[in-house]
Amino acid sequence: MALVSITLICTWLTVRFPFEVESGIEHLLIGPNRVNPQTLHLHGEFVESNLGPVEDSGGGVTVRMIAEQYLFVPQCVVVPTGVPIRLRMTSADVVHKPTISETGEELKVVPGYVVESHLQFERAGEYQMPCREFCGPGHYTMRSRLLAVPVEQFRRLSREARMGCAK
Amino acid sequence: MKRQIGFAVLTLATFLCLSAGADVMGSDVAEPPVRIPSNVAWTARTIALASSGNALRGLLIARRCDRCHGREGFSSSPSVPNLAAMDRLVVWKQLDDFRSGKRSSPVMQPIANSLSLEDSADVAAYYWMMPISPDPQDDRAFPQPLSDPKHEALAGRLINAGDGSRGLPPCQACHGPIGSVTGAPSLATQNGTYLLEQIEAFASGRRANDINMRMRSIARQLTEEEKHALAESYGAGLGESSVAPSGK
Repeated sequence: MALVSITLICTWLTVRFPFEVESGIEHLLIGPNRVNPQTLHLHGEFVESNLGPVEDSGGGVTVRMIAEQYLFVPQCVVVPTGVPIRLRMTSADVVHKPTISETGEELKVVPGYVVESHLQFERAGEYQMPCREFCGPGHYTMRSRLLAVPVEQFRRLSREARMGCAK
Repeated sequence: MKRQIGFAVLTLATFLCLSAGADVMGSDVAEPPVRIPSNVAWTARTIALASSGNALRGLLIARRCDRCHGREGFSSSPSVPNLAAMDRLVVWKQLDDFRSGKRSSPVMQPIANSLSLEDSADVAAYYWMMPISPDPQDDRAFPQPLSDPKHEALAGRLINAGDGSRGLPPCQACHGPIGSVTGAPSLATQNGTYLLEQIEAFASGRRANDINMRMRSIARQLTEEEKHALAESYGAGLGESSVAPSGK
């Protein structure tokens, strides 16, 4: 009886406030890898001050990016070589598919969901990441770049410099 | 007994529900202070509110705007934006950003503060209905001539095709005519001097009320010449005349 009522209440809350409240209830029901594409800039993991590469306590690096018509934000990210990289991405509008040309790695980024990819670059250099899913009239110019640098050099860079490598 | 178990389950579930949200970010994330570019989010509710304006009420409110923005929504000064036919959502968002201080302007902030949400929607609806047809009666500054004829071709390439090597999308993909994005204004009849100021403000971060950093990311990659060429071309009314990306 209690379980039934809880289920009913939770279902009602989700239906009544779809995406409007980012409460614990919502995350319990739909999981942490769901986001509201319309309010990414207001709260949660993808606010603009949380974008770009961040060093994890475990020695890895987490990169957060937004794919939107017709840009990846941040457009260029510096990452260290030889370190596991967790790339977390979501879309603000339609489906995008960033593809790392050199490694063939593909991510299908769907609005409403966070996709995660685990990468590791052994060779320093520039990795192009164009969008390979038609997303609108600006699709053909939509690309970002990952700039892999030795890990010591990466540690010396400021937060701005890690995202400021765009030409 | 059954009832007690029921309560225990209920309490546990409530606790779980409330605590689950806290774990989402993970504990290993070093968080800088949260910066919110704009309080406006294009949810269905906001779009409905911003589109619900009454143009007739807006007509009365807009008389306060005449001195700078012109009686017909075309300004006599090239550094003040033209508002005629501007999308309702664009005007509404900018007024909200002025009100919340997300976009700063010593002139517009006090004015926006005196308007309610409905007033903003009304004014937006009024300007949205104003025509852009040429009128010899008013003293509009638009269009201004190009300072350098080479700017037309340079801007034409960026407006129509963008620059794939730098990840710069074509302007027209969001600002029209071939594509549109919610909250992106049409630039077809915008004043050049105003546009240049805004591109420079986005590039330097002085203006930072663009959702998800779209315009800041683009503007910071433009060269000085490209900024001038784009602003002048739009200001000369060439933005929507489909300048072919020719090799001239």
